[in-house]
Amino acid sequence: MSITPVHYIAVPLAAAFLIPILSKFHKETARIIPGLVFSYFLVISFVLMRQVSNTGIISETIAGWRAPWGINLVFGYFSGFFATLMSVIGFLTWLYSYRFKLVDSKPAMSYYILLMMLVTGSIGIVITGDIFNMFVFLEIVAISAFSLTSFYPGRDGAEAAFKYLLIASFSSFLILLAVLLLYTQTGTLNIAELSTKVHLIPQSLKLTILVMFVVGLGIESELFPLNGWAPDAYSQAPAPVGAVFAGVVVKGGIYATMRVMFTMFDINEMGQILLILGLITTIIAEVAAIKQTQVKRMLAYSSIGQMGVVMMAIGIGTEDAVFAALFMMFNHAIIKGLLFFSTGFLLHNSLTKTIAEMKGVAKKFPVLSFMFALGSFAIVGLPPFSGFWSKLYFLMAAADAKLFSMIALVLAVSIVEIVYYFRVVGVMYYHQPDESLPTKQPGLNAYFVMGFLAALIIGVGVYPDLITNFLHAAAYELTHKTEYVQTVLTQFVR
Amino acid sequence: MCSFDYQTIMSISIYGSSVVLMLLGLYAVLVKKNLIKIVIGLSIVDSGLHLLFVAVGYLHNGTAPIFSPEAVDKVNQMVDPVPQALVLTAIVIGFATTAVALSLVIRLYKHHKTARIDQIKSLKW
Amino acid sequence: MKRFLVIFLMLALGFYLIQALHFVPFGANRMGAPADKKTVAAFYLNETVPQTAVANVVTAIVVNYRGFDTLGEVTVLFLATTGLASILYKRRDEEETERVSKPSSTILQTGAKVLFPLVVILGVYVFVHGHLTPGGGFQGGAIIATGFLLMLIAYQKYHLSHSMLTWVESLAGILFVSIGLWGLITGGTFLENSWFPKGTLNSLISGGAIPIIYIAVGFKVAAELTGVLDILLSTKDDKSASNIQQ
Repeated sequence: MSITPVHYIAVPLAAAFLIPILSKFHKETARIIPGLVFSYFLVISFVLMRQVSNTGIISETIAGWRAPWGINLVFGYFSGFFATLMSVIGFLTWLYSYRFKLVDSKPAMSYYILLMMLVTGSIGIVITGDIFNMFVFLEIVAISAFSLTSFYPGRDGAEAAFKYLLIASFSSFLILLAVLLLYTQTGTLNIAELSTKVHLIPQSLKLTILVMFVVGLGIESELFPLNGWAPDAYSQAPAPVGAVFAGVVVKGGIYATMRVMFTMFDINEMGQILLILGLITTIIAEVAAIKQTQVKRMLAYSSIGQMGVVMMAIGIGTEDAVFAALFMMFNHAIIKGLLFFSTGFLLHNSLTKTIAEMKGVAKKFPVLSFMFALGSFAIVGLPPFSGFWSKLYFLMAAADAKLFSMIALVLAVSIVEIVYYFRVVGVMYYHQPDESLPTKQPGLNAYFVMGFLAALIIGVGVYPDLITNFLHAAAYELTHKTEYVQTVLTQFVR
Repeated sequence: MCSFDYQTIMSISIYGSSVVLMLLGLYAVLVKKNLIKIVIGLSIVDSGLHLLFVAVGYLHNGTAPIFSPEAVDKVNQMVDPVPQALVLTAIVIGFATTAVALSLVIRLYKHHKTARIDQIKSLKW
Repeated sequence: MKRFLVIFLMLALGFYLIQALHFVPFGANRMGAPADKKTVAAFYLNETVPQTAVANVVTAIVVNYRGFDTLGEVTVLFLATTGLASILYKRRDEEETERVSKPSSTILQTGAKVLFPLVVILGVYVFVHGHLTPGGGFQGGAIIATGFLLMLIAYQKYHLSHSMLTWVESLAGILFVSIGLWGLITGGTFLENSWFPKGTLNSLISGGAIPIIYIAVGFKVAAELTGVLDILLSTKDDKSASNIQQ
């Protein structure tokens, strides 16, 4: 049995159904099995990426029905980039939370199952070739995300989760309505076949459907004005889950937006709107970030700001801009991961998680503080780190599209970003430590995770060609949809 | 002669009621202050959408897409089966969302001793 | 003020919805003649009987053509129970509170006792015949769960074994995934149906693995919905539930 994309879904589902039984006999299985699944994700990603580079896009049928009749999975450079990134972040998060403080064994089991399904659902979004199936995976992600947001009973998690639930329900309502309208006009749900049939839809209806998709998926990808859920969810969820939200869940939303805009429709119809929405999102989020007193809320607003820039790059719509967007998402996932992971221990025993409580932590946790500082430098785009390159590529793509006012605005926003990140770093290094807070030293697993991410940030910063070839291939694949459509629609079943 | 034929009346009543249900539900979600009522609003929105799903699959004078012994040769009259299959998925997902929402309401109520959204400070936007 | 804004928003949204529905005439044939197989729906209507020997086309779509969606759906339910258990988790020191203080009437109790087996039998019938008649795993499972709900309302002391629910839920889920994986291992595709003998149309044993999957789904949905109801009912506050109205 060779490895195929469906393993990404089938294996974790089997594991998720097995865990409740096995943990009756041995409690540790709830912790170990997700780890094995995440490790297997890494294997699948590696094998499939090699296969893609040898033979091109892989399209797999489910239940033996050729593409428009059944559901199919598609794995090319573009999907593969997201799936690999999600697998890596998922694995690191599992490793980081391996010794996470858990009250009892039963919530621990829920935590690991939900974490695993959060990553699985996001991978499902990126590999599926069917628009309704994508909706189902979006819901799998949403349901696990609500439960994880309200995981800690002591915090305001339930409020954040309820807010998230209300907004996400609106999003799924819009997506479902858009899918229904698409189905009535084209008689199919397959993304590849839809892309050959969307020209049949009357123009005004097409616009309505597009707006529904942009708003519905914009909620998932933290686009203005419906991103109110993000800061609360990020700040109330356990710290590793914050890293998964930034590194995996949002990426799923952005992937869905890109797939719908580039493959199903033509980006030129919505590009301007995405550009403007992205710009507004970035400006509002960065201004809001500077006013935050809680570290995780600040990170969340910074995350929204970054996604706004990514959305702007998508709105520009050229191959170079897509390349910049992908590079930015890669950086955002690894850097935000590092920031959330280090904050998790820096503020481990604080209830309010304010910036003021980070006074002088550099003396208590020199390594962790160094990691946080490194992440801050990287995310604002200082030269020796990977964040610099993605910003540079974005500005180059914007300059090619003659959007000079936008370049000025993005640079101005970068200065705001520098201000609030450096303020935190300043508090950490140049203030007297507050002795009152008890501390918790991270274990070896957490150090390994953070060290790996830091090495990746510096490695890509020094030698960006490590991933740029790969990202160029992904951007090419997305902006030239013929190969995708051909592979899916001309496939034969054994 | 009546200008409204059967077709128009059906389309207005079914499409109209599903649109009205969706809008009523959204209104409840946006305006009501009680958390339980908000959750009820969410499920009314879902109901409207599900009704719309089934309605667009309908074929004039159609029968159910089941090849029972009496209906084996009626393939040309059968309604579109795909929206019915999709709505099944949508209903189950709606149920799961409602269940999670209700459990969150229970927790909020336990914590704040109230189910009114304006008395729970951190729920304000 | 806010109310007017919301009403305005509703009107705008309603306007756009009705505009969009103008392109979807009610009762019109959008799928083309089934024999042409121009759209997915026409293909399903034309091919379901020869390919899968299932009388109910909706079941064939739900379990076979779009079986992957169903697997996702079942997972969503599974996650809802898992999430509920973690959201409403009580630590050991918080003792279980009694469910409802007032006992229900004799009429309800006797009626529930009589109805419960009938409801369960109806549910089993619905999911066993999912490939022949309207209904199926989800519907049958939901009916069975209403039977348990009736018992939970009628008897405060009615005890559901959580361990049992977990076993049923997990085993049914594993059965579903293993049927899928079996297709993959034997050299076909995930969730493939063709390795199983088809049987004759419109008899109980027909449709290959489809009834088996739907029975597994029925058990799973019944266990999950019952679990959700039980979790929600057993987490009442110490005061009576009517407080939540206010």
